Amino acid sequence: MAAEMSHLERASAALANEEVDRLTIYPIACGVCRKLIGDGNITYRQWVNDPKLFAQAFIEGQKYFDLDFAIGLMDLSVMAGDLGAGVRMDEQNTPFVDKHIVNGPEDYEKFEVPDIKKGRSAVLLEGTKIFADALNDQVITAGFIEGPLLALSQSAGAERMFMDIFTNPSAVHKALEIMTDYDAQMVEGFAKTGVKGLCWDYLWGNYACLGDAEYHEFEADKYASKLNKMTVDNGMAMCIHNCADLPHLDTQIKEFKPSIYSMAYYPLISDSPSASQVIEKGYADHCLVAGQVDPQVFIRSSAEDVAKITTNLCQEVKTALCKRNLKSSYCIASGCEIPPDINCKLENIKSMVDTAKVEGRM
Amino acid sequence: MGEYGLHYGGKYMSSREELLDKLANAVVSGKVDMAKEGAQEVLAAGNSVLTALDAINEGLVKGMSIVGDKYAAYQVYLPQVLMSAHTMYGGLDILLPAIPKSEVENRKKCLIAVVEGDVHDIGKNIVKTMITASGFDVNDLGKDVPVQKIVETAEADQTNVVAMSTLMTPTMDGMKATIDGLIESGYRSKCKVIIGGAPTSPSFAETIGADYRGANAQDAASYLKEVL
Repeated sequence: MAAEMSHLERASAALANEEVDRLTIYPIACGVCRKLIGDGNITYRQWVNDPKLFAQAFIEGQKYFDLDFAIGLMDLSVMAGDLGAGVRMDEQNTPFVDKHIVNGPEDYEKFEVPDIKKGRSAVLLEGTKIFADALNDQVITAGFIEGPLLALSQSAGAERMFMDIFTNPSAVHKALEIMTDYDAQMVEGFAKTGVKGLCWDYLWGNYACLGDAEYHEFEADKYASKLNKMTVDNGMAMCIHNCADLPHLDTQIKEFKPSIYSMAYYPLISDSPSASQVIEKGYADHCLVAGQVDPQVFIRSSAEDVAKITTNLCQEVKTALCKRNLKSSYCIASGCEIPPDINCKLENIKSMVDTAKVEGRM
Repeated sequence: MGEYGLHYGGKYMSSREELLDKLANAVVSGKVDMAKEGAQEVLAAGNSVLTALDAINEGLVKGMSIVGDKYAAYQVYLPQVLMSAHTMYGGLDILLPAIPKSEVENRKKCLIAVVEGDVHDIGKNIVKTMITASGFDVNDLGKDVPVQKIVETAEADQTNVVAMSTLMTPTMDGMKATIDGLIESGYRSKCKVIIGGAPTSPSFAETIGADYRGANAQDAASYLKEVL
């Protein structure tokens, strides 16, 4: 067993699949950490519109939970909102798009890249810089951004966009070019924040939505490949989060070659791969795979149950890594963002982290 | 020209089989204009050739079933499924009004909604399509629907099924509130309640008193056909 490592030493070693003292840990605790600021009554509207508050959540989260990474997810309506879509901000719920801006194929050609020095794009970049400055000497930090197809679906409405992929592909491509230009500007913006990585949400690369041909045409080949390269060229580790049920693992891991791949597990879906299956199939040979605790347990289970779930996952992962002769390329994480609901139990998150620190020892 | 085609006054009229094939093929290929045209031809041909109900069940629904099977087998994906659903509804809009009231009354009813506080409805729409394709008369209340509206509409419709969906954790409690409302109104025992959406699970369904949480849209439709 390796001597106790710092967060940075451990995470760096895991990214290279080198020997570690224990598995890395990252519950995707983002919006929920607003409860750790001040008296804990900050609303979502305040949190997503104030870069200092946004950053403070990650800084306080690190103090409280003691994690190996800090990844600055705000929500998935940042880009759509700055493109002109209506965003609903409830007091204690993740903001979401409630008014799309594509009403016909001609609207795809009306998109324009917004000024990223304004709006929530600016809040996201400024907030990311603040927490990166504060945490870069402790953990590996990363920004979080929507991929072009997700940004477009949030702006146009997923159902409309998917039908237009079928009926008006050229119009969809024109809009995707604009989304990619917007994303490209954000990549440069994130590079200036000092984060060590950038995590892309490439949600629609999943077989419940798109086949290989469609995904390659509408995201992978022309758009994501450019952005992935740009991320690395700008000095950041390219990471991917995809919490869909049937992710395109061959494309998003073997072709895209991310440093970290964060994913969920859906036991009801017969083809959804568990942590051990992902490792057995060789995906953790290529990158640090992160997952797959069900985010609902942080609301609906007890701390004792979360400890049992985490223990089981650690055992499953360690056994699978051992069989594959891998040293550390799996991160004990939640499959998706921990629900930032007011009923989310911080003690459950702590239970996952504290349990993984013990049960994840190598 | 099909071998069963008929000529009336010099004008070619499609046979029953040709009409059914046209409707099914329209749905499979996602061609809404073809479905509408086929539906109009059904009405023009009259009940002696093909009733509207048979055109729906053996044409449009058959096509949607083929698409559902192909989707389950990863042979087609969401864009095609959505286009096929859009096509099926195009044909249904024309054919449903032509079904005699007595036959409509025999169809099982389903009320479907995304609960209050959530506007993500793509999953709900796919489930609606599969339940419609299973022969249910579906009343779609849309998205962001208040508890009281679901409860009151369930009773007013005398619905057999209440189907609810949400993609967000904070709005999951709206499902329980709806079931509590159905219990309070005395209607819960008269309907099945099914739920869906990424954060939900069978154990959550059990906790809140719902009858079923399937793995996917086809699964939900199969369950309802089985129990009703």
